[in-house]
Amino acid sequence: MQAIEVSHLVKKFGDATAVNDISFSVAAGETFGFLGPNGAGKTTTIRMLTGISSPTSGMAKIFGHDIVHETVAARQSMGIVSETSNVYTDLTGWQNMMLAAQLYRIGRSERDKNATELLKRFELYERRRDDVHGYSKGMQRRLTIAMGLVNSPRLLFLDEPTSGLDVESNLIIRDMISDLIKEGVTVFLTTHNIEEANVLCDRVAIIEKGHIAAIDAPERLKKTIQSVQSIEVSFDSSSPTRLDELRQLSTVNNARKEGDKFKLFTEDPSAVIDGVMAYAHTHNTRVMSITTLGPSLEDVFVKLTGLHRSGGGITAID
Amino acid sequence: MGFQDRLSRELIAAWAIAKKDVIIYYLRPGTIVGGVLFPLFMFLAFTAGKLGTATALIPGLVGITTLFSASSIEPVSIPIERRTATFDRLLAAPISLNALVLGESLSGLLYSVVIALIVVVAALLILATSIVSIFPILVGILLSSLCFATMGTLFAAYPTESPGDIISMVNVVRFPLIFISGVFIPLATLPAVGQMIAYVSPLTYANDLIQGGYNGKMTFNPFIDVAMLVVFILIFQLVANLLYKRFND
Repeated sequence: MQAIEVSHLVKKFGDATAVNDISFSVAAGETFGFLGPNGAGKTTTIRMLTGISSPTSGMAKIFGHDIVHETVAARQSMGIVSETSNVYTDLTGWQNMMLAAQLYRIGRSERDKNATELLKRFELYERRRDDVHGYSKGMQRRLTIAMGLVNSPRLLFLDEPTSGLDVESNLIIRDMISDLIKEGVTVFLTTHNIEEANVLCDRVAIIEKGHIAAIDAPERLKKTIQSVQSIEVSFDSSSPTRLDELRQLSTVNNARKEGDKFKLFTEDPSAVIDGVMAYAHTHNTRVMSITTLGPSLEDVFVKLTGLHRSGGGITAID
Repeated sequence: MGFQDRLSRELIAAWAIAKKDVIIYYLRPGTIVGGVLFPLFMFLAFTAGKLGTATALIPGLVGITTLFSASSIEPVSIPIERRTATFDRLLAAPISLNALVLGESLSGLLYSVVIALIVVVAALLILATSIVSIFPILVGILLSSLCFATMGTLFAAYPTESPGDIISMVNVVRFPLIFISGVFIPLATLPAVGQMIAYVSPLTYANDLIQGGYNGKMTFNPFIDVAMLVVFILIFQLVANLLYKRFND
């Protein structure tokens, strides 16, 4: 049985179509990434899959339960971690866990056991009796995820789990996601961090203007744009005009500065390497490192969504 | 899942939501003090305005207290929870909207019952008000508290993150209810149109029960009062359910 089955799902708000006839399925135990720019329809899709919002047409099933007609049964097997850390800051960490467990009708002994385990796992147990408004942003995020796991879900919706967090919280959460994947939990992940999706997901879907633009394993998606290869190069000295000069090299389609390195996009890496070496010689500088890179998932994302790179990254990714 | 199991699940969830609201919103010192001060100020205003003797004003005061205390907090707490996205947590829980509406209303009911009982007891101790039968008073307080709490939850369905928007709408209904429900002006002395309007006010039936408990005089059969309050509760619950469903889309 599929964990998620979506068939011809449509959501309209008046004349505007937010989600336009999307279909996909997620197998049990799979980690599925859902990427798209702002306003692409990601949040609307998640709201329909979790039964908060009703589709205009089409069907979605969670472990065989129709989300519209069997909402409660479908939700019972899922955990939901929303983008915002939606914890009750006037309650203690423990009270938040108890509330989440009671909403899933988990018996007292089991909810005490689950809450204790999860708070320990997320390094919050020592602070369980403190009001949450005294927690750091990272601690609130960890508590949000712990609350999403209190019912031991078979399917976990994770919306931007690591966005804007400190390194410690980031590591704890990523480790937890890896553990869940090992335990066979199905994970539906939306993230700003395309590298995170690349590393964690079995498959990703890229949604753009309400349509699924692509859906496949990250490596297979990258192969679809093999023409977008790049050279990453660093020099022993800096020059304010270097980026513009490198852009002028023949066969360089585009270039951007990434920290102390330059990334040059091309369809002919060997010609660009020759060009870079000649450039270094002419400008009396040394090449410190040079690496040939295949297309990244971010490159796939940019190509499919038509976003433009600006400076060191891409803009308007939701 | 059988009906009994489902009902038990819904009631447990509703109680969890009510407990959460009580801890976060109702047990705040400001809310408790405000809840007690409101009827006190109303009482002082009524006596200063010579609307009747102090003891004669108590039944109406109890009714107004349930109206305002039961319908005050959810119109504030739900928009705040929308802003903090904690309301999404409740909407995404494996419970029906009916359980969610009931849970939100239950906390208003508990708060209102406590505040109304403080008024009843204080009037007994300080003003030595006489009571013919406590039973209709308790039933009136209980049912009207649930009724007005559900009304507050219903208004809070309006999809705003600003409590002021909801409070303004609730007040448009609450204040006229005081004047058309026989609280100050007996129903029998109202013109025909006034009486017709009074019949569609739940406060009319709550006030009738409470007045009956205090002085033994009732306009309607107490069973009609109870039945009408139950009907209003069901209507508010149903409409609230529909509005939350519609506005969540």
